[in-house]
Amino acid sequence: MEQLLEILEEIRPDLDFVGCQDLIDGHHLNSLDIISIVAEIEDAFDVTVPTVEVIPHNFNSAQNLWAMIQRLQEEG
Amino acid sequence: MVKIAKTLLGLAAFAMGLLVILYGLSFLFVPKNNTKDAGMEEIYANGIQGEPPNSIDVVVVGDSESYSSISPLHIWKTTGYTSYVCGSGRQYLSYSKTLLERAFETQSPKLVILETLCIYRQIPAKTVVMDEVSRYLPILRYHDRWKVMTREDFSPTDGNSYTTPYKGYRHNNKVSGADTSNYMAQTEKIASIPLVNRLLVKQIQELCEANGAKLLLLSTPSTVNWNYQRHNGIQELADELDLEYIDLNTKPQEVPIDWSTDTYDRGDHLNYSGSRKVSQFLAKYLEGTQMFSDRRGDSKYASWNTLLQDYEAKVEKAS
Amino acid sequence: MASYFSPQYLALLLPATVGLYAITPHRARRVILLLASYVFFWAVSGSLIVYLLFSTLSIHHLGLWLELTARNGKEKLALAESDQRKAIRAGIQRQQRGIILLAVVIHIGLLLTLKYSHFFLSNGNALLRFLHMPAILPVPSFLLPIGISFYTLQAVSYLIDVYRGKIPADHNLFRLALFLGFFPQMMEGPICRYEQTAQRLWEAPPMCWNNFLLGGQRILWGIIKKMVVADRLNIFILNVFSDYDQYNGSIIAVAAICYTIQLYMDFSGTIDVALGSAQLFGVALPENFQRPFFSRTISEFWQRWHITLGTWFKDYIFYPVSMSKPMKKLTSKARKRFGPRYGPILTSSVALLCVWLCNGLWHGSAWNYIFFGLYHFALIFAGNLVQPLVLTVTERLHINRNHIAYRLMQTLRTCILVCIGELFFRAEGLKNGLKMAWRMVTDWSFTPILKGNLFAYGIDGPDTVLVVLFLVLLLVVGILQERGVKLGEALVSKSWPVRIAVYYAATCFLVIFGAYGIGYIPVDPIYAGF
Repeated sequence: MEQLLEILEEIRPDLDFVGCQDLIDGHHLNSLDIISIVAEIEDAFDVTVPTVEVIPHNFNSAQNLWAMIQRLQEEG
Repeated sequence: MVKIAKTLLGLAAFAMGLLVILYGLSFLFVPKNNTKDAGMEEIYANGIQGEPPNSIDVVVVGDSESYSSISPLHIWKTTGYTSYVCGSGRQYLSYSKTLLERAFETQSPKLVILETLCIYRQIPAKTVVMDEVSRYLPILRYHDRWKVMTREDFSPTDGNSYTTPYKGYRHNNKVSGADTSNYMAQTEKIASIPLVNRLLVKQIQELCEANGAKLLLLSTPSTVNWNYQRHNGIQELADELDLEYIDLNTKPQEVPIDWSTDTYDRGDHLNYSGSRKVSQFLAKYLEGTQMFSDRRGDSKYASWNTLLQDYEAKVEKAS
Repeated sequence: MASYFSPQYLALLLPATVGLYAITPHRARRVILLLASYVFFWAVSGSLIVYLLFSTLSIHHLGLWLELTARNGKEKLALAESDQRKAIRAGIQRQQRGIILLAVVIHIGLLLTLKYSHFFLSNGNALLRFLHMPAILPVPSFLLPIGISFYTLQAVSYLIDVYRGKIPADHNLFRLALFLGFFPQMMEGPICRYEQTAQRLWEAPPMCWNNFLLGGQRILWGIIKKMVVADRLNIFILNVFSDYDQYNGSIIAVAAICYTIQLYMDFSGTIDVALGSAQLFGVALPENFQRPFFSRTISEFWQRWHITLGTWFKDYIFYPVSMSKPMKKLTSKARKRFGPRYGPILTSSVALLCVWLCNGLWHGSAWNYIFFGLYHFALIFAGNLVQPLVLTVTERLHINRNHIAYRLMQTLRTCILVCIGELFFRAEGLKNGLKMAWRMVTDWSFTPILKGNLFAYGIDGPDTVLVVLFLVLLLVVGILQERGVKLGEALVSKSWPVRIAVYYAATCFLVIFGAYGIGYIPVDPIYAGF
């Protein structure tokens, strides 16, 4: 989780990723950010994010994003 | 069940309330007289409302064919009968009916002539609905007057004042000859009349009967708009409704139109010279019916003689 | 029945359906909805309803086929040795991709044939002529079934979602038919996803007074937007866009703004009628607009305007392209080369370009639509490129980017850019669009507007005042909605005398200020043509 937050803050230093729950629905993240995030977490956590997972729910908060990463890691 | 009934009742009450409001607002929006300034549409056709009550013997309704081929002052000159042409461009039958209803409010003509080209004009569904509904809710027709409303609009009607100088006839003396090669070629074929229009003719017939007027269907000469299929179609309708039908396109002897000189737009409409021939025929026809009396000596109709002098000076001299 | 604003729809089909729906017992209600949908389609497109029936059947079948493939594959996987699994997985995926490909060939192929063959063949002929060869390609013209562009996207999204395992394939043909053909969404969208509406439509919830009021008042609001503003501006827009060379650049600019307003009023008004109609039956269709003219950037604009189309392109084109294997490789290479900030821009631009070409072409088969797509691509691309720079500069200059003035400036800039785009969108061909834009640059003077010449071209003083006042009303409504006020629900919760007074007032407003009757030409439904 710490590592994830670091990644996120590097991409968008202006956002508060700890508290924000509507990163997508509140139009805080744009598609460019999402591509960056996916690329970063694929590198950092050694997972593959399939297109199906790119849905607002998974990207709305850092917690949800973390949950997705863990799920993908388990599925291997 | 009770719930549904209650809901329906509620909706009906809501709709009724709305109709009442719109009906009330209509008084504000209806033009206060029949002038253009007051917001009246088609002032030539509605000019009949400015005529003294019960002064018109014959009312004509129809589209541009009617106002370019029938001249009431010519008929007056020959017979002393009064007539008025409630004609408007591209008139729809639903509007013809409205015009007649308005005319019957103040006039009691013995004869109504319906120019038949309207009967073939397809009326958009929207227009039929609008014409029918705006009879009761005139706000639908005149709503756009919010742009020009003045304080006077909040006071009651101030009486109709406008009437056209030539009683609805529109003068044109240009000449542009027509090609007559296929004009009125004989055929057994019948051009079909839209169902809505058949119904409207029937309603107009009933309206005339209720007001003690006879309805006559008249086709004025036109090479562009008329043909034998249409003649057959109207003849069939006339037989069905038991109406009298006169097609001037089939009477070259009685109405000798010279298509090289009597039309101003290649056979679409008649010009002044053509209208004289049609009006002369109608004058004879009206005399033949023996329904009317000559009013030329009647002092109440003196204004017609004044208008005639003006008409002769301006129109007849121009030709 | 030419549109949702026609008396046939508003006074006949919709009330009849609502009435039948209200008195029908539960299980038959869905049948009423499906029947009404087919009556609607038939009334608009006649015998082309065959197309709808055929494609519904084929989509149903393809969905089941996808599922069957997946199930067989799973069984094989369970039995297989671990070293064979990878091969089996690849096999299933190949097979499923084959099915998707088939579906795309059938449906997008039909769409392409019906909608685009004219464009491609006539451009082919132009090319042949250019090469001094005889123009021999026959150029056919087809009758388009209503809403085919919206319908096809909805159908494709269903199949892809089944393929991705997001939803199970629907075994019930009628539920799928209702999802695909539900009449309020048929003509101009919104483009719904299976999981958003299919189940709710199938449940066919009982009529409820609250939904009835919410739906009814939303329909009324939509009609007001369309008839009071969109129709009022129509003659002026028709005049300027058909004879643009008669007009000064400033008049053309006003016309471009008016067209943007008209497009919004017409499209969002239609969507209001569609969503309101669905709400009468207790079905919530997805929203398609979210105060687009409050956007601060072009990319935000597209998240607020025609939302369901934007998300469709995002989910089924943008992410699949940008997350495909070669693109991911490109991303990581670019990140190493250009750094984490500019690296992803490159890959996302490729995906964006795909999206905007599709977006342009989706609107119609003409060069001005393609230009329109590329124009927005260029704007978003440029926005992405300069954003870091803007951040640095504003920081250095101590400009508060959240200050109201800065935000207003951004919004104004976005609106102007959008209006310029819509000029090309509306222009009769790309050449005319470019000429109009050229006039705005070369032949500009404020005098025609100041002298009131504007009022000679199909719009008058009272019209202008009315439109401006209505826009102010819309602005107030928009600000309230941005603050989270739900105006529709607030009205429904008021006591009945208040409600009825508002409904009466709104209806009278429509009757008096609607642009209908003599002297007006109502605008044809703009988006139904796409």
